[in-house]
Amino acid sequence: MRLLHRLSGWAAGTTALSLLFFLLYYLYLWMAVDLRLIYHGAGIISNFPVFYLGWDFFLGFLSYPGGLIDYVSAFLSQFFCIGWAGALIATAQAWLLWLYTGAILKLVNGWRPRWVCVLLPVFLAVLYTQCAYQFATAMVLLTAFGFVCLYVKTSLKSKPVSFLVFMVLSLVVYAIAGNGYLLFAGLCAIYELLVRRQWSMSVIFLVTAPILLYTEDILIFEASIVEALTRFSPFYMEAGSGMMMVIYILYLSLPVAVLGLWLLGLIGISPSGRFSRSVTGKVSRVIGLTLPFVVAVVAVSFSYNSNLKTMLEIDYYGSLSMWPEVLQAANRHPGHKFISKTVNRAMYHTGHLADDMFFYPQGVEGLFMDRRVGFAAFWELSDVFLDLGQINLAEYASFLCIETYGERPIILRRLALINMVKGNIGAARVCLGALSRTMFDASWARSRLEEIESDPDLSTDKEVQYLRSVMVEKDRTALSIEPKMLMDLLDKNRQNRMAFEYLMGFYLLRGQFDLFLGNLGRLDDFYPVRVPRAYEEAILFYNYINRTRIELNGREISQESRERFNGFMNTFLEKYQSNKNEAYKELARNYGDSYLFYCIYKQSGMKN
Amino acid sequence: MSKRIIIFGVVLSVVLLAGLLAYSMFGCAVKIDKYSDIDRPARIYPDYSSTVIPPNIAPLNFMVQEKGSYYQARIYSDKGEAVEVSSRSPMLSIPIGPWHELLSKNRGGRLNFDVFVRTDSHNWVRYRSITNKIADEDIDGYLVYRRMHPPFHYPIRGPIGIFQRDLRSFDEKLVLDNHHQKAGCINCHTFCGNRPEKMLLGVRSPDYGMITLLVEGTTVQKVDSKFGYSTWHPSGRLAAFSIDKLPMFFHTAGSNVSDTVDVDSSLAYFVVDSKTVKTTPEISKKERLESWPMWSADGRYLYFCSAPMLWKEQTAIPPEGYNKVKYDLVRISYDIETDKWGKAETIISAADTGRSIAMPRTSPDGRWLTFCMSDYGFLPTWQESSDLYIVDLKAAQEIGRYEYRRLNNNSDKSESWQSWSSNSRWLAFSSKREHGGFTRSYLSYVDANGEAYKALIVPQKDSSFYTHNLEGFNTPEFTTGLILTNNRQLEKVIRSPVQPGGKTPETTAAPKVKESPKQEYLREVQ
Repeated sequence: MRLLHRLSGWAAGTTALSLLFFLLYYLYLWMAVDLRLIYHGAGIISNFPVFYLGWDFFLGFLSYPGGLIDYVSAFLSQFFCIGWAGALIATAQAWLLWLYTGAILKLVNGWRPRWVCVLLPVFLAVLYTQCAYQFATAMVLLTAFGFVCLYVKTSLKSKPVSFLVFMVLSLVVYAIAGNGYLLFAGLCAIYELLVRRQWSMSVIFLVTAPILLYTEDILIFEASIVEALTRFSPFYMEAGSGMMMVIYILYLSLPVAVLGLWLLGLIGISPSGRFSRSVTGKVSRVIGLTLPFVVAVVAVSFSYNSNLKTMLEIDYYGSLSMWPEVLQAANRHPGHKFISKTVNRAMYHTGHLADDMFFYPQGVEGLFMDRRVGFAAFWELSDVFLDLGQINLAEYASFLCIETYGERPIILRRLALINMVKGNIGAARVCLGALSRTMFDASWARSRLEEIESDPDLSTDKEVQYLRSVMVEKDRTALSIEPKMLMDLLDKNRQNRMAFEYLMGFYLLRGQFDLFLGNLGRLDDFYPVRVPRAYEEAILFYNYINRTRIELNGREISQESRERFNGFMNTFLEKYQSNKNEAYKELARNYGDSYLFYCIYKQSGMKN
Repeated sequence: MSKRIIIFGVVLSVVLLAGLLAYSMFGCAVKIDKYSDIDRPARIYPDYSSTVIPPNIAPLNFMVQEKGSYYQARIYSDKGEAVEVSSRSPMLSIPIGPWHELLSKNRGGRLNFDVFVRTDSHNWVRYRSITNKIADEDIDGYLVYRRMHPPFHYPIRGPIGIFQRDLRSFDEKLVLDNHHQKAGCINCHTFCGNRPEKMLLGVRSPDYGMITLLVEGTTVQKVDSKFGYSTWHPSGRLAAFSIDKLPMFFHTAGSNVSDTVDVDSSLAYFVVDSKTVKTTPEISKKERLESWPMWSADGRYLYFCSAPMLWKEQTAIPPEGYNKVKYDLVRISYDIETDKWGKAETIISAADTGRSIAMPRTSPDGRWLTFCMSDYGFLPTWQESSDLYIVDLKAAQEIGRYEYRRLNNNSDKSESWQSWSSNSRWLAFSSKREHGGFTRSYLSYVDANGEAYKALIVPQKDSSFYTHNLEGFNTPEFTTGLILTNNRQLEKVIRSPVQPGGKTPETTAAPKVKESPKQEYLREVQ
């Protein structure tokens, strides 16, 4: 009786620890990883699935093996856009994997070491930490494990019946989970070999599986031989080499664990073995209980990529026009070309670009397009183009995003707006029609559709009206934003402050002082009283180099800028005798956010 | 026992729920005794009104765009039983069997749609009848088109598929997609006299290069040559095609973003039996751009578009003066028995029209020639100004000049890629009239006098389909039957080694040195 009481107490304790583990897991995904960022993708995550409500969309998933899992995954993944809900689903998935892993280990090996059971959930957490989307992969594992348990429960001692059950389940697993079938077949074969000692069945399973699948592929899914063969490999999935490694680990971890534990059993290391009896005790139990936590903490700590997360955050906040949050996140980041476009937009929208643009790392490609950055750059560029008034370029970039990332709601919203601005109401309706079949953007789309119905010219829509007022009219046949294209924007609307600040920023970054000074007269349209700080520094620098004094139409260079300039020059010229290398540290520390520093070192954002 | 009861209960609940759902969605026709009339037709989408419809077309399912809680439509004609459909949803689905029966009994007659709507106050209203004419002549059973997102760049990265749609039902079959070709493009399917047995299909793939698939019945061969826009000689013994350099470029202003310029082009022809490619100086002049070939119905003439090349061979993209290029419509005689070409003669001059001609298509009966005409350039798809025009070839022969007129089925947006049905009574074409960049395929009746009637969009089972589909449906081509090959076979041939023969002749538009598939592809896409 005492023993029973102690055992039940022990079980309650381990259950509580499991609950605690998954509670922490949930909180980690919700609060630390923030699955909304993965949903958003930021042009970094390209495999996040599109999901539409409706029968037709569902039917499309029935045409290939694994389609059902893809459909369910696409549906559940949409909840990632609600942080807590997405984390709940991802945690439930991890918990089920933990449960099935334990069940299979128990069935095959007779015991379930807790630290082995948590391996898969921990790997999943690592993937989420690295902002990777592999939800469908986890669903495939879940399905395969579930069917293995079903096979074990339903198969009988009779070989023909077991074989029949295996065949039927194989057809079902392959249809539902595609290449997850490999795992199912492998685990069933291992079970037959290790538990039921039916090596012949094991061999039959392994031999018949490909034949069965090939037949199913050809007859039911009408696939080609190449398709049928490639589906046997996880390589069929589109993923980078690093990610493929993780996927392989996910796929192989349970079969390897099962075989590993069996081998340990052979040498007597198991709960019932002598070795374990001699070692187990309170200490080993405590180790067994705490090891999962340690494994999890170590794994996520090593995989945590704060730079990547910040990049995602910046783009996410930018997409919601949460400009102060963008700048706040940018302050934590050492600087990256990919985000500088959003940071510059945030500075412009908060009125800081002309003053503080050198507070953050800058490069010419930061403000403007640079094709070397690749297709991912278009994710951010479409917003830059749209804000500027280069509507056609925004449309071009948005369609590239559709091709690269699929029909994601955020891109469809942008395309709808672009077409509304251009007066292509038919095309706008199609984008909004597609959005109205999504789960979380439907109400926004319907309200815009109603707006179009009631006012087809959108004459009362402030955003549309503003963008029409800045939309460029002069046609050029080039892809990149060049100064003359910014001039076109100013020709269309001389009040286009963003075009002005980007133009001046471009000249400053290129050191084109003549062109910069030639446009200073436009300050009257935007800064009637003062001169923005970055411009003051440029003017002071120019005056010093050319021993001249630029007339500023009654404006004065601020005392603060003069003092900074004098301080910079004293340090550089007098203290360090123009020695760039030696002066670097001190200048970066005190003036790393200035145009003066950029002029000397072609770097900025060094004071952060 | 209890287990059985539970199972029975679950099954019963599912059946009841499904029944309720089906009833609420589709319902039976409701008997409407009392209603008031509204003196205007109901707004329906797609707009299937005041037009001529094929007697063998799939049901024209539509969506009632009027506020209400219940919808009913009575579709009737002079003969046969009326078809009644009703639904709580404004989307009405017409049963295919009764629809076809009604249409076949009333060829040449009128087809009326009476739309009833139950308003929020539970009163029924009937809108004025929507009337269409049912044509006497069938439309070809199938339409082959390409589905893809609007192409905004090259190489294409997204999915592209060529599909064959049964116009009498809603069945759609995949012919070939680019699923297994990285950034590959498939394009320009061409049939010999609307017959599906003979087809040419272009493939541009980084892995397999620029190739053309030659389909003859169930046999598919790979020809190691990129055919641009091609046209089958009516005999099926040869096909003329263009060799083009067609880079894309972009506009920062205006309604269209994308554009294509014909930097250099010429014509050649492929002899099927010998698998050889030939050309003749009259269709491959160095100083001219020559494209869009189209055989006359009797095969005695080849029509094509020709314009002077306003730049040197090596040029910036787009070349200066790209928007000043205007193509003439030219024809050249040909004798297939002797393989002799005549002299090219301009039949409609850009100097006279002030505009640019593209995509000439002759009707299979030899009577009509349609073409696109736009403000400038090569590809009317990108030109909002592109409209469809028609020439009466019989009249031209009699009066000695080619008089053209604009068809009545045009819109203020781009129309292009027209295709004639085998009986020369139906035109299929692409248009951006409704959804801008999301091109749709339309069908239009052309009567014995060459008058085109209001175009109807290719019907879909889901009447809201076009309101949310983000693909373009372009290059529609009629066929009279099912294509005898399939995606699997075509893919296999694409991956197979190249057949000997079919080398592109050395013209200014053709590459001089043999390149690897990837080099060839990159040269093409850059």
